[in-house]
Amino acid sequence: MFAAATVAFAFLLFPIVAIFARVSPGRLAAQLSHPVVTDALLLSLRTSAIAQALVLLLGTPAAYLLATRRFRGRSLAVVLVELPLVLPPAVAGIGLIAAFGRFGLLGGTLDALGVQLGLTQAAVVIAVAYVSSPFYVRQAIAAFEAVDPNLVAASRTLGAGRVRTFFRVVLPLARRGLAAGEALSFARGLGEFGATIMFAGSLQGVTQTLPLAIYAAFNVQPDGFTTALAMSALLVVVSGALLLALRVFLQWQPSRPTSRFLFAPSR
Amino acid sequence: MRVRAPAAALAAAVLVASSALAAVAFAGSHRSRPQLTVFAAASLTDVFPKIDPHGRYSFGGSNMLAAQIQQGLPADVFASANVGLPWQLHRKGLVTRPVVFTSNKLVIVLGHGNPRQIRSVQGLEKPGLRIVMAAAGVPVGDYTRKVLERLGLSDLVDKAVSQETDVREVLAKVVLGEADAGFVYATDARTVQGKVSLLGIPKSAQPQVLYAAAAVKSGRHLEAARTWIKRLLRRPAQRKLRAAGFLRIPR
Repeated sequence: MFAAATVAFAFLLFPIVAIFARVSPGRLAAQLSHPVVTDALLLSLRTSAIAQALVLLLGTPAAYLLATRRFRGRSLAVVLVELPLVLPPAVAGIGLIAAFGRFGLLGGTLDALGVQLGLTQAAVVIAVAYVSSPFYVRQAIAAFEAVDPNLVAASRTLGAGRVRTFFRVVLPLARRGLAAGEALSFARGLGEFGATIMFAGSLQGVTQTLPLAIYAAFNVQPDGFTTALAMSALLVVVSGALLLALRVFLQWQPSRPTSRFLFAPSR
Repeated sequence: MRVRAPAAALAAAVLVASSALAAVAFAGSHRSRPQLTVFAAASLTDVFPKIDPHGRYSFGGSNMLAAQIQQGLPADVFASANVGLPWQLHRKGLVTRPVVFTSNKLVIVLGHGNPRQIRSVQGLEKPGLRIVMAAAGVPVGDYTRKVLERLGLSDLVDKAVSQETDVREVLAKVVLGEADAGFVYATDARTVQGKVSLLGIPKSAQPQVLYAAAAVKSGRHLEAARTWIKRLLRRPAQRKLRAAGFLRIPR
């Protein structure tokens, strides 16, 4: 059993080690000041921030409804919400083009409004939101389901309205699960490649996110591989830090579980 | 046992799915002639399987393929849409001496029916026009830059809405209507006849587009790879290239 575990561990770790072993830290750092890299990093952060804001804003109510209401076709709705999780990104890319592309289902409507999404930064945001949202929504449903309905009922009988109860009772109780889901969603969105390159194209500073820049750099002779390695190292560090932060957050026990938390509305 | 049934069913499903994939993947691996792995420029996607239906092909931007060969990916033949990349690998001792085997020219593909009413290359300066091209370093991207430079339209490079990684990506963006115009090879445009409109590029601005092939020295079938490349120059292969719109090798 230990042997199998060692193999698994080594297998997962080896490519990561290789990224850092191929190039000296000095050269890696030097590559990171390249405008291609800084543009891609800033673009990745910007599009991820917008996409995740959308995911939180639209995904939270959806998850809450799915967690608390029992209705016909609920299971189907949950499956649909989770579907992008298991879809190959290329399928997501084709789907987004078929839906929002110029000749897509909504293309005519969007065209009439003077909107073209393909090959724009908006397309990056859509692609990222599409593939990453299930990671959040899935966790959020579980987190909301785990909230003791008695506490909600108590809050309501004590005179708090639905909204107040949601913000003061439900959200604080579910916040760990929500944060965990959001962290995974963010990480997945940061790594989005397939749907983005198909739907948004690749243009430095506009639609070329870090993963796309890695791919583009790898394609450039003769020393693009070093730049690609540097950007990969950057993504490993960012994603790793994210995961670590999540672990720490999840293990951290709040000392006053009933105090006002970050989700409490300010008066 | 009842608890395990779903797990067993799942395992069975996974097993069936993966063995089906494996069967497809390995079908036809038993052949007397060694099956060559050919890394070829994306513009050769349609014609190479017609020349040799038994090859295993990996099509993409020639520069990406060159990078992969340099990183040691197992290929037998490298067929590039330019001469520079195979020569670069040759100087590093990775491939045999490159052989020029065909030629091509560039065209501009426009949306079907030319909805933006572009009548000449100068029309590409129209404000709001969405132009795609391949990135610098990709052969067709480099040719595109040369064309634009000769036409005095180099400013269009910075106006492109996407810098794609190979010529077929450029083509797809125009076919799908995501872009209004794109720079591709004449042979790529032929593969989507009736789905795009064409705009010719003046002869004086055409770059010399040469395709060169070389055998990968670390490949497992070096001799077979050399033979394969020689066969590209013979009449049957040349006829198929010509039928696909590729041009005679200029003298």
